[in-house]
Amino acid sequence: MSLLEARGVTKRFGALSALGGVDVAVDEGEILAIIGPNGAGKSTLFNVIAGLTAPSEGSVHYRGRSIAGLPVDAVCRLGIAKTFQIPQLFPRMTVGENVLVAALYGRGLGLGPATREAGEWLAFVGLADKRALAAETLSVPERRRADLARVLATGASLILLDENMAGLNAREVEAAVTLLRDVRDHGRTLIVTEHIMGAILGLADRAIVLNHGEKIAEGRPAEVMRDPAVVSAYLGEAYR
Amino acid sequence: MSSSVLPPRAPLIGARELAALGVLAALVLLPAAGATPYTIRMATVIFMWAALAGAWNLLAGYAGAVDLGPVFYQGIGAFVTAAFMLKWKLPFLPSVALAGLAAMLIAAVVGTPTLRLRGAYFAIGTLALAESGKQLALAWDRLTKIPLTGGSAGISLPLTAGYLQFYYVMLALMVAVTVAALWLGRSRFGYGLRAVGENDLLAEASGVDIHRLKRRVYVGSACVTALVGGAAGYWLSYINAAEMFSMSVTLQMVVMALLGGLGTPFGPVLGAAFLTLCSEVLGTRFVYHYLIAIGVIIVLISLFMPSGLAGLLRWRRSAEGRA
Repeated sequence: MSLLEARGVTKRFGALSALGGVDVAVDEGEILAIIGPNGAGKSTLFNVIAGLTAPSEGSVHYRGRSIAGLPVDAVCRLGIAKTFQIPQLFPRMTVGENVLVAALYGRGLGLGPATREAGEWLAFVGLADKRALAAETLSVPERRRADLARVLATGASLILLDENMAGLNAREVEAAVTLLRDVRDHGRTLIVTEHIMGAILGLADRAIVLNHGEKIAEGRPAEVMRDPAVVSAYLGEAYR
Repeated sequence: MSSSVLPPRAPLIGARELAALGVLAALVLLPAAGATPYTIRMATVIFMWAALAGAWNLLAGYAGAVDLGPVFYQGIGAFVTAAFMLKWKLPFLPSVALAGLAAMLIAAVVGTPTLRLRGAYFAIGTLALAESGKQLALAWDRLTKIPLTGGSAGISLPLTAGYLQFYYVMLALMVAVTVAALWLGRSRFGYGLRAVGENDLLAEASGVDIHRLKRRVYVGSACVTALVGGAAGYWLSYINAAEMFSMSVTLQMVVMALLGGLGTPFGPVLGAAFLTLCSEVLGTRFVYHYLIAIGVIIVLISLFMPSGLAGLLRWRRSAEGRA
């Protein structure tokens, strides 16, 4: 049984159809990439899975349980959490408290164990020395790592990363890929959206390509990127 | 401990709390130390406003929900207390306790839909709630044929000579909201609530049931506000709906909490003491112009101390810490 299975997910905003019957399944321990041009429906698919928006049609099952339409906090407590494309923070709380809130409420820990848990994930993403700073003082790459630590501290088994590497330079991307592989080694399952193809090739086990809200290809990342439909819809001739 | 994400935890009783305990002990003993009835009365007024502003601060300062209708619960508290005392001849304390309970029930029902409104919509919704409450209270006797509010004429409560009773009730309520605010600063519930106040979408995405947390604070805040209303009504011995549900009470709560320091445990106490004493001192000397002076003071504090009087104290403390 897949960890997550979404079938025929359709999302309409008025006359606009952002997703038209997309099937996605991900197995435990897998890293799945969802790629496609801007406006392809990647973020909408993420929002449906994470409970930020309900699908117009279709089903979403997590560990065999239907979660479509559940509120986002309930989905988070069940074990699915997502980072934000524009990294979000509790600005006036400290970096440590930002992660602490997720351990307290996402995992439902008490103050003592949650404090230890949050400390461990901050160290994991390399922000241990920033824990006492106000979160609003962090740089953008640091915010992305703090957001990742928050998501990890919720205890989620399935983590959705929405363009977590946007705006990073080549070296930072490399570090992020290593970090995310390490996350998988901690027993987490990842679905990532990304425009940086090099990162996808080095990270994902499988890729799904969306275009205009429909799945146009699926398979090993290297194969998918050679698919003529993907090249013409998204990557351009340079990738051929 | 190096792995702790929190700064080394302040002892439960720090210097600030110790000072507050000292002040509290002095306040408890103040009547026995031969304070004049005038002093007792002024102190009672300050405690009353500190409790009201403090109750508002729990929701606005910590959960970030700006409620412009808390006076609704003051009015409910006053009239329900009066009803129990006048109709069922209950003593004051059980009456006011029942009024607090009634306010909590109403707040739980009203809060469920209104707290789903965000930002300005919540403010407008609660403002409308308080105004409708006032109109309903004014028309209650005529509409229901159950005498309760006395319409625009209001009702009288039994006279009481025991003004010390109000001193201690208001003091207890002020202490209760202050302790609640201190608890929010260091508890699991408080972290969740502050997360909601800073970024409710992110709090929700981190697993916080934001509606349940906000509703609990709203209900608790309504209870304190109703208890103050019940006590104030009996103290005044005459209440009418237009005054007990007046928007100006809400505004005063807001201004005191902001002046003192929003989201700080002692801010509402400082704001209430400062504004009450300013009004008293200036009001007796400049009977006709004191409101202008108060307005200027409020503007100056907002301009030069944006985090309020409590912010001034905090700044001083951190300056000492660096030295």
